[in-house]
Amino acid sequence: MNLSLKYKVLMIFMLLVFIGVFLYYYGAKVRQEEADAEALRDYSYIVREYALDAVYKSKENPVEVELYPSAYTEAILERWKAISDRYPEFEYPEAAIEEGDWFKVNRVIKDAEMLKDTVDKMYEDATVEFEGLKGSFTTLLDYIFYQKYEPSNIEDILIDLGFESPREEE
Amino acid sequence: MKKRITVIIVTVITLLTIVSYLIFQMLTDDQDIEEVIKQEFRSLGQYVENVYSIEYLDDDRVLIFYSWSYPEYSNLGVLELEKTWRGWQFVEAISNRIEIENAWLKGVYAEITDHVILRGTVTAAVEEIVLITDDGREYCPSVGKAERNMWYLILEDEPFEEATFILFDRNGEVIREEVLQFDLNS
Repeated sequence: MNLSLKYKVLMIFMLLVFIGVFLYYYGAKVRQEEADAEALRDYSYIVREYALDAVYKSKENPVEVELYPSAYTEAILERWKAISDRYPEFEYPEAAIEEGDWFKVNRVIKDAEMLKDTVDKMYEDATVEFEGLKGSFTTLLDYIFYQKYEPSNIEDILIDLGFESPREEE
Repeated sequence: MKKRITVIIVTVITLLTIVSYLIFQMLTDDQDIEEVIKQEFRSLGQYVENVYSIEYLDDDRVLIFYSWSYPEYSNLGVLELEKTWRGWQFVEAISNRIEIENAWLKGVYAEITDHVILRGTVTAAVEEIVLITDDGREYCPSVGKAERNMWYLILEDEPFEEATFILFDRNGEVIREEVLQFDLNS
């Protein structure tokens, strides 16, 4: 079969177009899959952190996950709100919570400066003596999310300021 | 000549279709469901998971009961998969946060696709459960064992808001009775 040069060039051109289109769509698909995987990892984090109930309707373009607060979420928010009531600069994102925008809620509490300032004020306002180092910005996160006292002296501070009930004597 | 070429092209396309179909069938039949489940967990970003039960609703549909999240395994999940020509595919998944410690029995109502699921945690000594609803219906939820014990019931009748759970140990002795309430709007 003797093809003229014109046809040969045309065939090579067509082949290159075909490969180009294939690579373009393949690349777009890979990028979309990576974006979906990242979105699902973010949902997983937010579900775990805020003790949310979740319904995963779709995990591919578009990712569709419905989030609902559980009783544990309410407890987290109650601790957060109590601190915010006493220290208004410690923002409580009421509107974002009402909207169920948990990613927006999370961005508010991850303000390290706000956390640190509030912890410092709590140590200043407390009337109890404490031993050891003062808490850092993670101290409030540990308390609000997991009711964990790290360092342990924060428990006395929280009791003294009325956020937690006094310990029952054994 | 033209007719011959057409016959060859049609034959080749037909053969390729049949061979592709057979290869897909072979691949999907050989799919290890446990491997598929693991991949689904990875894609959902749910780690440190524990599978309590794999419940086949029919040959092509399966519900996986599991818990996830280190260190307490405190999120209970149900994953629904469907077998298609591409193999096992994700349909839907649900996850509920539940108390897992200091409780004989906990439970939550949930819906996944068109199924109503009741499930929760139960203390390790329990081998069998009988559930009696407030309107007198009786069910025997399954008990799955992994890191902890999980009970579950795929409900095909009307949902109920309250039930008494009778918990039996391995000797068939009643060890406790608990009443659970379910929020049907959750």
